[in-house]
Amino acid sequence: MLTGKDIFENIGKDRPSVPEGYFSDLRARLNSIPGESAAHSGPWSRVRPYLALAASFAAIVLIGNAVLRDTVKTPSSDPFLGEDSYADIISITNPEILYDESEFDMEELSDEDIINYLIESGVRTEHLAYAGYNY
Amino acid sequence: MTDKEILDLYKSGQRELAFKEIVDSYSERLYWHVRRFLCSHEDTDDLLQEIFIKIWTSLPTFRGESQLYTWIYRIATNESLNFLQKQKIRAALRFEDITARLDEKIDEDTGVSGDEAQKALMKAMSRLPSKQKTVFIMRWFDDLSYEDISEILGTSVGALKASYHFAQEKIRAEIEKYLK
Repeated sequence: MLTGKDIFENIGKDRPSVPEGYFSDLRARLNSIPGESAAHSGPWSRVRPYLALAASFAAIVLIGNAVLRDTVKTPSSDPFLGEDSYADIISITNPEILYDESEFDMEELSDEDIINYLIESGVRTEHLAYAGYNY
Repeated sequence: MTDKEILDLYKSGQRELAFKEIVDSYSERLYWHVRRFLCSHEDTDDLLQEIFIKIWTSLPTFRGESQLYTWIYRIATNESLNFLQKQKIRAALRFEDITARLDEKIDEDTGVSGDEAQKALMKAMSRLPSKQKTVFIMRWFDDLSYEDISEILGTSVGALKASYHFAQEKIRAEIEKYLK
């Protein structure tokens, strides 16, 4: 059995075999590389990577534009956004309650209804008094 | 033809002739260098083609700061290590054991003589970390000097000697275990 320091010397550096005539065939194939490269290096092949890059960029812009157009809406195109902006100007509101102008006929609401609504929404009595509501 | 003569030939515009000289001088040497890494004749044959294409396309950027021969060996070594790394990633994606796959390759490689000790050496070598494997192949099989290996790998001679020592110890232990 091979042991100790002699192990490498005993194994040696034998080379594995290769098919007969392999190296002359290999040299012939490798020598054809410059010719093949020249065939693939015309003006079209020089421009092609840049065109591919430009096409990729254009595709990304188009896809991004299409996706954004479907997902992001402008204020004018969204009928609910107007109501949201009304809700934003009410300083203290119950987030569960959405203010919708169309649901109410303002003329039928009494001061008491309004006060009850505001108290329910969490408006403090001091603020009601300040706004001129008497309760 | 010496490396300097090859480079002079290239600079004089006779590029294809210079490349032919490179192929004649290095194809066989690089074949054995790469085959020690890949442990397969077919893989080596494929990768050699890639290596020489890279040499041909990179020759215009060769500035002569290093020797032509160390530059060529650096390309071959990097390509071999990249190839092994890709194989490792592919094996991981398929949940395969890369070590078992390499062992199979060594057993299947008809070119490796039936000598069990040779196969044990190849298997032990395939288990080494990349750096140690590279140093071992260059020093033990390619008979390169530490100075040349240092220029090829960009590592100090002291670090190379340490890597070679560790590689030898690990291989020795593996072979003894394998042959018991």
